[in-house]
Amino acid sequence: MDILVIHLFNALLYASVLFLIAGGLSLIYGVMRIVNLAHGNLFALGAFITASAVGQWFAGSESAWLYLLLPAGAIGAGLVGAVLEPTLLRPFYKRPEEYQLLVTFGILMILEDVMRFVWGPYPLSATTLFGKMGSMNVGDWIYPRYNLLVIAIGGLAGVFLWALIYRTNFGIILRATSQDMRRASALGVNVNLVYVQAFTIGCFMAGLGGAIIVPSQSAVLGMGVDALVLSFIVVVVGGLGSLEGALFGALIVGVIREIGITVFPEIELAVLYLIAAVVLLVRPAGLFGKPT
Amino acid sequence: MAGVGMAGMAHAQEKPKGTIPDKPFKIGHMTFFTGAGAVLGEPMYKGNVLAADEINEKGGLLGKRKIEILKADEAAGTDANTKEMRRLKLSEKVDMFMGITSSGNTPALGPVAEELKLLTIFIDGCTDFLFDKAVPNPRYIFRITNIQSADGSTCALGVAQTWPNVKKVAHIHPDYSYGRNCFDHFSIVTKKLLPKAQNVSEAWPKLFSTDFTPHITKSLAAKPDLLVTSLWGGDYVAFYKQALQHGLYEKMKVATTLGLGSAPQSIGKDHPEGVLSGVHANYHFTYPAGNRWPLNKSFVEKYHAKFNEYPNFQAEGAYTATYALKTAVEKANKLMGGWPDDDAIIGQLEGMMIAGPGGYVYIRPDNHQGYKDAITGFSKNVPEYPFPILDPDRIITIPIRNITAPPNWPKGEPTSTYTWIDQTWPQVKAS
Amino acid sequence: MTDVPIALRPADRRSPLRIVVWAVPIAVLLALAPYAVDPYQTILLGYGLTYAIAVLGFNLLLGYTGLLSFGHSAYFGVGAYAVAFMVKYLHTESMELFILGTIVASVLVTALFGYVCVRYTKIFFSILTLALSQVLWSLAFKFFWVTGGTDGLRVPTPKLLGFVNPAGADKIQFLSHGYYHYVLAVFIVCVMVMWVIVHSPFGKALQAIRDNETRARFVGIQIRRYRFMAFLVSGVFTGIAGALWVPLNGLTTPDILYWPFSGEIVFMAVLGGFRNFTGPIVGAVVFNYLKTYAVGFTVYWQAFMGTILVVLVVALPTGIVGTARLLFAYARRKAYRW
Repeated sequence: MDILVIHLFNALLYASVLFLIAGGLSLIYGVMRIVNLAHGNLFALGAFITASAVGQWFAGSESAWLYLLLPAGAIGAGLVGAVLEPTLLRPFYKRPEEYQLLVTFGILMILEDVMRFVWGPYPLSATTLFGKMGSMNVGDWIYPRYNLLVIAIGGLAGVFLWALIYRTNFGIILRATSQDMRRASALGVNVNLVYVQAFTIGCFMAGLGGAIIVPSQSAVLGMGVDALVLSFIVVVVGGLGSLEGALFGALIVGVIREIGITVFPEIELAVLYLIAAVVLLVRPAGLFGKPT
Repeated sequence: MAGVGMAGMAHAQEKPKGTIPDKPFKIGHMTFFTGAGAVLGEPMYKGNVLAADEINEKGGLLGKRKIEILKADEAAGTDANTKEMRRLKLSEKVDMFMGITSSGNTPALGPVAEELKLLTIFIDGCTDFLFDKAVPNPRYIFRITNIQSADGSTCALGVAQTWPNVKKVAHIHPDYSYGRNCFDHFSIVTKKLLPKAQNVSEAWPKLFSTDFTPHITKSLAAKPDLLVTSLWGGDYVAFYKQALQHGLYEKMKVATTLGLGSAPQSIGKDHPEGVLSGVHANYHFTYPAGNRWPLNKSFVEKYHAKFNEYPNFQAEGAYTATYALKTAVEKANKLMGGWPDDDAIIGQLEGMMIAGPGGYVYIRPDNHQGYKDAITGFSKNVPEYPFPILDPDRIITIPIRNITAPPNWPKGEPTSTYTWIDQTWPQVKAS
Repeated sequence: MTDVPIALRPADRRSPLRIVVWAVPIAVLLALAPYAVDPYQTILLGYGLTYAIAVLGFNLLLGYTGLLSFGHSAYFGVGAYAVAFMVKYLHTESMELFILGTIVASVLVTALFGYVCVRYTKIFFSILTLALSQVLWSLAFKFFWVTGGTDGLRVPTPKLLGFVNPAGADKIQFLSHGYYHYVLAVFIVCVMVMWVIVHSPFGKALQAIRDNETRARFVGIQIRRYRFMAFLVSGVFTGIAGALWVPLNGLTTPDILYWPFSGEIVFMAVLGGFRNFTGPIVGAVVFNYLKTYAVGFTVYWQAFMGTILVVLVVALPTGIVGTARLLFAYARRKAYRW
């Protein structure tokens, strides 16, 4: 039985990070109708920032205060988002979506090289945070405590996001803008402000995903492109623009990946895409999506 | 004293025969400068640069032709790489091509180099497939680091020698040709030598992934005696950190093919000791140690002084390859005078035995593949370095001819070495 | 999408004869290229022309039907792998058979994918096409015993029109002359076919759907069926481009199925200007030069290409051809005023 618990943890671990990335992607799409192809790179950026904060600037410190540096990557990615939206994305809202996709594709390529330029080619890690927490026993098994922290942060982020969108004034404005931007604007909503806030939150989430995962893994070049493709599977399964969809999509992908690796090691990767394809055939707008 | 003892170096100070043009000798160097592969690509380039700078300080090749290196990024994809190789030869008019990290790229570029008649020394991209199938009769292309099958075989021999009683083996390999090659050769060697050993678990994570938790869980669940992995670079770093927290190293022996090979400084002191830590069956900068082989000592010192890091097998390969070129040019000049043409240089490279920092490399004339004795060892922490090194008292070296198919062995599936081991090695009886 | 800029279909107003006046000299110039420039440039041009066929196909969807596919790497890859499989399992050598086989394979795959995709438009269409292309990529990647995995599959020098390229003959010579002319011939045929398609009633119907779906439905156009046909034609063109590309590259790997290559195809179309017939052709050729030289001159080639893309989309949304046309029109207006 213990092994089932471990498998569940593994699936949740993967799902938490995926949810943070895909949730941000979905949120941005839901509010602004933009699919941000550079989203994976903001995830990578979060990982690199936290890794250099923990692993380089404060390397050698054993203090528990280091955990406070964890959100550095999320904040960094959020700030980059806050700059990108008004400067590069805003001019494109009235233009056809191929331009929006392309401009984010361009940003993706630029960010990839910016990270290489700033942090160089070698992988960065911040493993002090991962190692310090140690492991705990789950029956006969031992399991890293840090992974549970990641799961908890993923879960909390989900709850916060839900509360933010469904239980606050800001959330009402956000949803109103999402449903009918013109009418919201006519009613006095500062749409530009809402957009920059939504985009920043989305980037913050992606950055948070990178930041919390980097202590147990590492920041490597190219991780953003992979993350983007995986979050596409999530939104394809869950439905683009739906937060619930991102959550369930991430859980489904997390579980299927775990089963795939355990039972069909030879086709680990293909299994995910095949599932996405099957969902597409049955419900092309995703399980929670509303087709146009 | 650069390259003391290098074959041919004794003649370096002699005046070259005939007139030598003084235009630069251009080398196109393609390797990973971006993406996760850069952890291997950058040291390769640096090894090439170090050797070129040393040669240039003395006036260049034959004292006249300064080496000029043109960088190209391997990460641009095979399509772009093919175009770039053609551009280097046809448009930049490079005299020679070096580099390549990925074993997916040498089979792509080898035939192109042959088409272009471009003198090439691949540093890595060590797949057996290149000279088994893609270019079975090479003319212009050479490769300096050990053939890939040596990696899995060396690892298996290390296991057989150290832990002869293993029965249950789990595997974690990156899902591309290198991982499969390691798996195949490890399996065939253990089938011969350790008939009681069985594979109980296989996991194939994608190359350059960072979450190995499920693969670790799967391996633990199979309760093996031994875990074999060919993860490398950032992948291996992420893997061992995660495996530590799962207590994996305490529950089983671990054997790696490239654990300490990628970038020595990337592994922390938290890495367990006594892990069979592969270095791509090629080179670790601590061996040969001390003054036993001055070439290595001076290479490591100069490399460290210049780049503030320790060289890996790629750096050693590129450094040796550059000196192999120098030696071939000098020998050919001595024979014929003037600047030797490609055929003359190729003639000298074929069958060359050259001393590099890691020991002697022999370039077999039949398949243009460099062979040097394979090496592996056990991780150990020592006070001198902030990262684990190979335990100097427990280095395992294996004569390369013992683990690679001899010349004229028919091409086989999946590799010639595989069929050679399968058909010629004696079978140990399961007792 | 109702925001179709005016004056973006000037080609429609031209008679075929006027097209011939400038198209024939260009074709002749292209045919003479191997004798004028060095072999490397000719080979690069050959790459550019194969990409141009792919983007021409892609643009039937984007420019004429208003559907943005972010998964055209799939059809390019189908062409490439179809050839590689024919070499591996059927030992085919003839280029004509390769193209024939590719058309069959592309029709099968595009029909399947198209059936799923054309039910949706806009971003959903883009993501569906992307996800499906990734399925193919992961299969090519994982089923290595069939596809060679990351090693890919080699494709030797093909027979052109039944002529065997003698063993040991110079491959560069082959690629820059015989094969170049072959690619050029296929390219010209493809351009003519595409020209006929977009100017046929079928093509007009597609444009009507693009400009106003509701209105098109009212005049009785069966929208989904037309979109499906456009998808099919588009995929087959891109597949043919893939088949022509393999001998140039010598090998096919899963790289060409991976989604960033789809991004590059979109890049090419936008670079040239996708609301023009000639835009994609110009875009593909120029892109090929840009990327090749960027990779050659800097390790930061991605940032370079990314910056070009962003600047292009911000400053020159109508692409090279569109901008040139605007400039031309502007100059003419000025001339009238004088």
